[in-house]
Amino acid sequence: MKKHWLIGIVTVLILSLVTACGSSKGDGGDKSAAAGPAGGTKKELNILMETVPDTEMVQKVTEKFTQETGIKVNIEAVNYSSMHEKLVPQLLGATSNYDLIVVDNYWVGEFTDAGWLELLDSFIQRDKFDTSVYLKSMFDMVGQVKGTTYMLPFYNYAMALVYRKDVFDDPDLKSKYQAETGRELKIPDTLEEYVNISKFITKQKGGSMYGSVMMGLRPDPISVEWLNYLYSSGGDFYNTDGSLRINDDKAVKALELYVDNMKNAAPKGAAGFGFDEAFNVFAQGNAASFITYNWMLPKLQNASESKVAGKVDIANVPGGSSLNGGWGWAIPKNAEDKEASWQYLKWIESFNSAKERALLGGSPTRRDVLADSDVVGVFPHYVKVQYILESSKMIPIIPQAPQLIEILGRELSEAVSGGKSPKAALDTVAKEVAALK
Amino acid sequence: MFTEKRKSFLIFFIPSMIVLAATVLYPLIYALIMSFTDSSLKRKGLGNFIGLDNYTRIFHDTHFLGSVWTTVVFTVLVVTLEFAFGFIVALMLNRIRFGKKIFFTIIIVPMLITPVAVGLIWRLLLHPDLGIVNYMLSLIGIEGNAWLGDAKLAMFSVVMIDIWHQVPFMILLLLAGLVSMPSEPYEAAKIDGAGRLQTFWMVTVPLMKETIIVAILFRAITAIKTYDLIFVLTKGGPGTTTEVISYHIYKQAYTFLDTGYASAMSYLLLLVIFVLSIVFMKVSRSQPQA
Repeated sequence: MKKHWLIGIVTVLILSLVTACGSSKGDGGDKSAAAGPAGGTKKELNILMETVPDTEMVQKVTEKFTQETGIKVNIEAVNYSSMHEKLVPQLLGATSNYDLIVVDNYWVGEFTDAGWLELLDSFIQRDKFDTSVYLKSMFDMVGQVKGTTYMLPFYNYAMALVYRKDVFDDPDLKSKYQAETGRELKIPDTLEEYVNISKFITKQKGGSMYGSVMMGLRPDPISVEWLNYLYSSGGDFYNTDGSLRINDDKAVKALELYVDNMKNAAPKGAAGFGFDEAFNVFAQGNAASFITYNWMLPKLQNASESKVAGKVDIANVPGGSSLNGGWGWAIPKNAEDKEASWQYLKWIESFNSAKERALLGGSPTRRDVLADSDVVGVFPHYVKVQYILESSKMIPIIPQAPQLIEILGRELSEAVSGGKSPKAALDTVAKEVAALK
Repeated sequence: MFTEKRKSFLIFFIPSMIVLAATVLYPLIYALIMSFTDSSLKRKGLGNFIGLDNYTRIFHDTHFLGSVWTTVVFTVLVVTLEFAFGFIVALMLNRIRFGKKIFFTIIIVPMLITPVAVGLIWRLLLHPDLGIVNYMLSLIGIEGNAWLGDAKLAMFSVVMIDIWHQVPFMILLLLAGLVSMPSEPYEAAKIDGAGRLQTFWMVTVPLMKETIIVAILFRAITAIKTYDLIFVLTKGGPGTTTEVISYHIYKQAYTFLDTGYASAMSYLLLLVIFVLSIVFMKVSRSQPQA
């Protein structure tokens, strides 16, 4: 008798499993089709965002939207590392809990390729939303893909060299460097000279200060940091004909310089630093330079968060081409009420909202906001940031970008920890990236 | 149709069975089916049936084989050290009369912290430049280390943190075993003139055998599955020095979105743990009382 019951239950379960698989395939398509332009009746919008300053700016200005329209906006802010895995199941389902999402630039290829994002062109044309106000490097990255608009650029996180003015202007260090090398100590034009200066400062300061603080944690920190070295050395992932060049001479040279700087100039243990750890070393005044996101500058100039406030400035990464980065707003294809989502999107990206966010400290993507006299009055460094943004390069927009970063991060870490030579590590990257489906 | 007794049995049995089936059996069966498909998070549904391809692929995956070795090293180190340390502390706790509760409470605290919090706390403590561990070492004239950033030290650091976190579990289990032991064998040993060490090896250890096996087995299984600590502390780095199986599987599923392949690896892991359990059980039953 007992056994019969057990067998019965198991059978029912297996049956329900089989039917569940079948039905999820079926009604997935139906529902997403049915949830077309239903017409802005939704009274509450859910947005998944990352816990970063720009999200706080959005939260601050969004109250106005609720007052104007009566639509409540719930912003769920989570840590970056859990965003992708939270988003993917939502985007795969028949309906999504989120009415609006923000997309990191290296998910763009994956999300658009999978058809998870709603096309915005018809909304843009209908409401005559002007997209030409965005910086080209931003709109090409987190706006349109192959001529189709999927997103509106939300904020930029192009990288740049943040450095200590007082250290680079120190007359004592300057004369010593001149005497030792015959060159002037200044923000250098080449990566090679940057690493030389970085090593020199570490040697001179004997453990109380490092020439540069670096972040060698797998997979994102090390990858994004090294890509500045790659792009500034004239290297890239792909040739113009689409063939891989990630293991060519320029890339190997870039990695050799990176490893050299990590071993001989960066703080001990930087090979395991994540972003926060590296940031703290710089904010405590223990490093002379840091290749990091440009929006870190206001944070570092804030005396309540950093000991180096007033002593910091920003420059392009030596060599001239930093890693561009940014987030875009997108409406999931399976969102319940896309009209309501668009209404909010249009509002939050309007000139007034974007300017308000910028004045609070947000990182603009619109040219008119970056050049706005009020904004530049508060943040004079935006003149440099605009220049940096225009000369920066992005991670290639391919569906496999997250996988690419994972592979790259692992192999770079191997090279830094001495497990592989730079050439061997990059050869592995090339081999595995070529095999990505 | 049913007798009263059978009815009440069913009333209590069926709900729990349904909950168990829905939360344990369903995912298990789903993952098993998935492991024979090319299922991916990029697509809806289960994908195409590809037979044993996922399983054969595992044995050509050098990164997987590397992570197996790392996991073996990690598990052996962690289980041995935690057992030794846990047993010593349990024996000591069993003997003291005064302040037992206070010691016990303090010792148990780490176990109550979630692994992610443990990882974050230790990341801060072990920061080479700003952390308190290196600062303390510098006070007594020892040069600090790059605990998590040095390929030679990272595994050692992770093992130490895991011991700090998991030793209370060992203490708890072993102490429970010690407390519930009968006192007669000890009296007999005393009368026979056995010394302390003799009593320990000839009385305590054999009597504790079942408890010890359960403790080691439990800990070995959870050690093989360690993922959260690695995720927070090192992300498998530097290089691949701390990349354990569970972390490798996680990446296959959530970074490479290859759920079919990840399921196959998970099943292989399940099989290993299952075999391990059987071996332990067999060993514990083969010689009933020495």
